[in-house]
Amino acid sequence: MSVLTKQPPGAAPAAAAAGGKPRIRPSRRKKQRSGYLFLLPWFLGMLFTVIPFFASLYLAFTDYNLFTEPNFVGLANFQAMFEDPRLLQSLKVTFIYTFVSVPISLAVALLVALVLNRGLQGLSIYRSVYYLPSLLGGSVAIVMLWRYIFGNDGIVNGFLGLFGIQGPAWVTDPQFSLSTLIVLNVWTFGSPMVIFLAGLRQVPGMYYEAASIDGASRWRQFRSITLPLISPIIFFNLIMQLIGSFQTFTQGYVMSGGTGGPADSTLFYNLYLYQKGFTEFEMGYASAMAWLLLMIIAIFTAINFIASKFWVFYDN
Amino acid sequence: MKKTTTTHIPRRTVLGAAVVAAGLALSACGGGGTTPSGSSGSVELNFVFWGDANRAKMTEAALRIFEKKNPGITVKTEYQDSGPYADKLATRFAGGNPPDVLAMANRSLLEYAQRGTLADLKSFSELNLDKVPESTLSRGEVDGKLYGLATGVTTIGMVVNKTITDQAGVTIPDDKTWSWDDYAKFATEVTQKTGGKVYGAGYDVATETGPILLARQRGEDFYTKDNKLGVSEKTIEDWFQYSVDLRKSGGYPPAGFFEQIGGSPAQSYLAKGTVASQIIPINNFRGYNEAVEGEVVLLRIPGETTGERRGYSADPTMLWSIAAKSKHPKEAAKLVDFLTNDADGAAEVLTQRGVPINPEVAAAITPKLSADDKTFVDMMAAIQEDDLPPAYVYPKGASVVADTLKQLTTEVEFGRVSPADAAKTFMEKSNAAINK
Repeated sequence: MSVLTKQPPGAAPAAAAAGGKPRIRPSRRKKQRSGYLFLLPWFLGMLFTVIPFFASLYLAFTDYNLFTEPNFVGLANFQAMFEDPRLLQSLKVTFIYTFVSVPISLAVALLVALVLNRGLQGLSIYRSVYYLPSLLGGSVAIVMLWRYIFGNDGIVNGFLGLFGIQGPAWVTDPQFSLSTLIVLNVWTFGSPMVIFLAGLRQVPGMYYEAASIDGASRWRQFRSITLPLISPIIFFNLIMQLIGSFQTFTQGYVMSGGTGGPADSTLFYNLYLYQKGFTEFEMGYASAMAWLLLMIIAIFTAINFIASKFWVFYDN
Repeated sequence: MKKTTTTHIPRRTVLGAAVVAAGLALSACGGGGTTPSGSSGSVELNFVFWGDANRAKMTEAALRIFEKKNPGITVKTEYQDSGPYADKLATRFAGGNPPDVLAMANRSLLEYAQRGTLADLKSFSELNLDKVPESTLSRGEVDGKLYGLATGVTTIGMVVNKTITDQAGVTIPDDKTWSWDDYAKFATEVTQKTGGKVYGAGYDVATETGPILLARQRGEDFYTKDNKLGVSEKTIEDWFQYSVDLRKSGGYPPAGFFEQIGGSPAQSYLAKGTVASQIIPINNFRGYNEAVEGEVVLLRIPGETTGERRGYSADPTMLWSIAAKSKHPKEAAKLVDFLTNDADGAAEVLTQRGVPINPEVAAAITPKLSADDKTFVDMMAAIQEDDLPPAYVYPKGASVVADTLKQLTTEVEFGRVSPADAAKTFMEKSNAAINK
């Protein structure tokens, strides 16, 4: 996946240098060489991505079980997927999680960014405070903490108890367990927020001045100036969040102790993939699943790119 | 992007640094592999197991004795909780870098063995199996090859917090003759008389050892001699139904009550004092009695005399295996021999991993046992005085069966599926996994 998302650092300048004049002066050649040298770590890193990438493509068509030599089985793994109820369940979990939590967390991120953009005292402190959860959200410790906050004797149920409400078993009841994780994901709105904030600061103040002279309301200004001008940022955040949440693993793994429970209600696609590969030793099937996920993400990204033509506005 | 101004660090320095960094990165990748044996022909064995710090401490003490008795062999250990342990083990085998000697769970043995990853323990002259009873050997055997040797034997039992039941004025039934109905009545009474502060029953419905025992009491083998699923759908349904009824009567906590099952005794609900009884592997009895405030008594599982036959069997607590790819198989076999037959080593580990399978070793450590461990060993011996039906090795796919049971238990717990439907699904999924 990182192949799709990561930009090689410094790749663009190097390419520009290579495509420059036909005759390169000695000093430039030297510069070029050191450019490549700086790229070396990235190339080495690529090996660790590219080799498994193609290995998994091959393994997807085998019955590889981790221990014995893989045998070619054609499309058997992909056919088996259609008859696998747990695979469907894992898709369901992942889709619900993605389509509920991504819009909410983007909306929250934008809202907080708008508030912070109004020129608060100590902006950098607020920014850090709100950004912090997104650094920690995917970490094991925070998911553990979440378990306790939403536990039967946790803070949330303690708070509800003050009003005489007997809170449900947020973590162990299959009806609520996924929503608990969605709340966790929304809480980590920090990184899109920081990007939104950067985007908002780029919007020229004169537009607002002109609009307010014309008597436009704040809401009108937001809809007609802010939204169109930051639509590329929204688009970028949407794509990143979508890809990230399709690949959710840690939250489900830690919250359920690796089972995807209670009753498969937090069986994320990647968690099921992991179970197939490493607890049931069906690495061939797991590889095929990885490629299905790649295709799903590619399709949703493509849909977004096509749709973006109708709502993303590039001001240049 | 802003254009950066030229910095005046000499290029040579940068190049040098880059080369050094790359070198470091590469050498770091090389680490963690097998350690080449030293010049003096010494061998380092990698030995892994699951458990807590206490178990690790006792094991280390035994290993120092092994090293003293076998100069030239050093043992490096690693341990984790059972969940992460299973994950890591699979990865290490897959990566072609398995440990030499390892602890194996009953339910995973054939998953590994039938993929050719484990050595036949009978093929080592270093490992003496003369003293080990045939019934114990058979629990690690398939097609005449021994892939796992019991670390000790244990079974499950009911632990009851007697301090709570005494205070509530509830008498604990005679465990030699009690039925499952007696247990249900007892549990319900505890909940009532403590005013709902303590639930009478708190056993884990999702652990397969429970239904395995129930099946045996009914004349069925949960796992059969030819490595199939032998339990009937009715037995699984009844196992689920029993918990549903017990929950309805108040003897068992409401749905969602148990958040973390299977942790250490100190984290158990018995230790928290919110349940009065629990089913445990009885080699852990001492841990529970120490973790729980008040007196804990160890009882037999209900239904032993009211069913068709005894449900009990002396089961491997876990199994020792040697990786087929071990670079030092002879030394590894020596270690397994030590763990099985050496009384000095066993004196350090005691009954941590069950009653030693070599009767002479078991006898030798008996005087050294604490009162609680003695209770465990005595109960193990008492159970085996009866005529127990044979038990068999867990088939390949047993870990899927365990996961399926866990998943369906939750479905039943929250009333999303009826016990009958859950049993039907259990049979389908388990048979599919085992017969694959």
